[in-house]
Amino acid sequence: MKVVPSRSSEWVRPVTSQEPASVIIEIDRVSQVFQTSARKDHVALSDISLTIDDGAFVSILGPSGCGKSTLLYIVGGFVTPTSGSAKIKGRPITGPGPDRGPVFQEFALFPWKTVLGNVMYGPRQQGMRPSEAEAQSRALIEMVGLKGYENFYPKELSGGMKQRVALARTLAYHPEVLLMDEPFGALDAHTRTRLQNDLLNIWERDRKTVLFVTHSVDEAVFLSDKVVMMSKSPGRIRQVIDIDLPRPRRRNELLLDSRYQKYVVDIERMFDEVEETGSPS
Amino acid sequence: MMSLAALAKRAAPVFACIGLLAAWQAASFALKNDSFPTAIEAIRAIPDILGDKEALINILASLRRMAIGFGVAVMVSIPLGLLMGRSRAVAAFFNPLLMVIYPVPKAALMPIIMLWLGVGDVTKTLVIFLGVSLPVIYHSFEGAKAVEEKMLWSGAAMGLSPAQRLVRIVLPAALPEILTGCRTGLVLALISMITSEMIARQSGAGNILFNALDMGQYDTVYAMIIIVGAMGICLDAIFERVRARLVRWSEPQFDLPLSFS
Repeated sequence: MKVVPSRSSEWVRPVTSQEPASVIIEIDRVSQVFQTSARKDHVALSDISLTIDDGAFVSILGPSGCGKSTLLYIVGGFVTPTSGSAKIKGRPITGPGPDRGPVFQEFALFPWKTVLGNVMYGPRQQGMRPSEAEAQSRALIEMVGLKGYENFYPKELSGGMKQRVALARTLAYHPEVLLMDEPFGALDAHTRTRLQNDLLNIWERDRKTVLFVTHSVDEAVFLSDKVVMMSKSPGRIRQVIDIDLPRPRRRNELLLDSRYQKYVVDIERMFDEVEETGSPS
Repeated sequence: MMSLAALAKRAAPVFACIGLLAAWQAASFALKNDSFPTAIEAIRAIPDILGDKEALINILASLRRMAIGFGVAVMVSIPLGLLMGRSRAVAAFFNPLLMVIYPVPKAALMPIIMLWLGVGDVTKTLVIFLGVSLPVIYHSFEGAKAVEEKMLWSGAAMGLSPAQRLVRIVLPAALPEILTGCRTGLVLALISMITSEMIARQSGAGNILFNALDMGQYDTVYAMIIIVGAMGICLDAIFERVRARLVRWSEPQFDLPLSFS
């Protein structure tokens, strides 16, 4: 496997960095209200404040309907919050941009493009020369384990392969932040585990900031530096848990590690409470 | 070596055609009516028509009007349908207009159009245009509406502007649906073409048909019906080939496509 050449070296930081991390994303008192019918409002997010460090892997964990995806879409600039603001590197987020790359549960690949065409799309849009974009995209496709599938159309791929393409497509335009919206939610358990491992391998190499939405406790603990536990109706931050586990993480070691086990048990208990009681108001 | 089942599937359209002609022949014999020639008589009249320079000029004039009407309709309807599918405001404005025009037989508008624009090419082309527009607008609209939001978001994150997203994401994503509309439009173009020539008789394939009817040349009438039908089948088969190539990447929608190709 090859390391993908990156345009900016800012996010390639050594694992043992001692300097204090700088904040890349600031979410300040964000609320999101959806009008479900003429007189009923649904408060998806209520007064969320959160900062995310540059290079951190942060999971947003919560039961369905807690607004965790909405929070991600606000950072992506796909949804404008009803009140409050979100900033990236100090600049207010007003819309989508190539500094924030989404990966969706639905893959959202361009079905009329081949695997290579999909991965090349972003770099070409950013004005990269075709030959350069192609070379870089081929390296990325190899990195996500799809060498030999360059000329396949998305319909010819399995769910896990589609998600690998989606990840490569997003990595291809070098976003500073990866926004992953339950990316492995539609996959079977085995494929899911493999993709978690691969994602971690890729991430531990270039340490891009990742905001990762999931409803799976062990997935969140396994991947993250920080788990943001949310409660529902209205969606609020219940607790932020630092996951103090060594990296690089290996699944077979971690599953036997009592610290990992304790995180999972504790957070699962919190998850149950949140689901039963909702938000304390 | 082709299996028997596959062979039967291949030969099925041929058998269907032979069956139809045989039934026609039998019915014609049974009825013994002057205005209902046998299939063989009608087929015999075809070379006379195709060998006649005047008739060929007429048929080509028809095809030219059809091509222009179809082409302009497609060029106008696809952008309109896509815009309607992505913008509530545009849809809210055009929807009522289309709903009014939709159930009106376009041929019924011809007398009015003829009053304004005469009985020439413009009128007939306009009728073809109207006939083709609606299915193409409708299918473009439906196709654009169904485009996955997340696909557009992915494009937006790559830096595509709203206009670029419409052309480079909505258009290709909706293409299978758009082409379904175009295919319906193509058949309607042929129908509108003949109908318009039936009402404003001046030239064209429809003109030959109805002149022959007036003069009691029934074998020519039926021969023209066969020619027009064959034109439809050929155009549809060509279109289907092109369509299949353009949307190779798409999920197959039907196991048995409704076509002759």
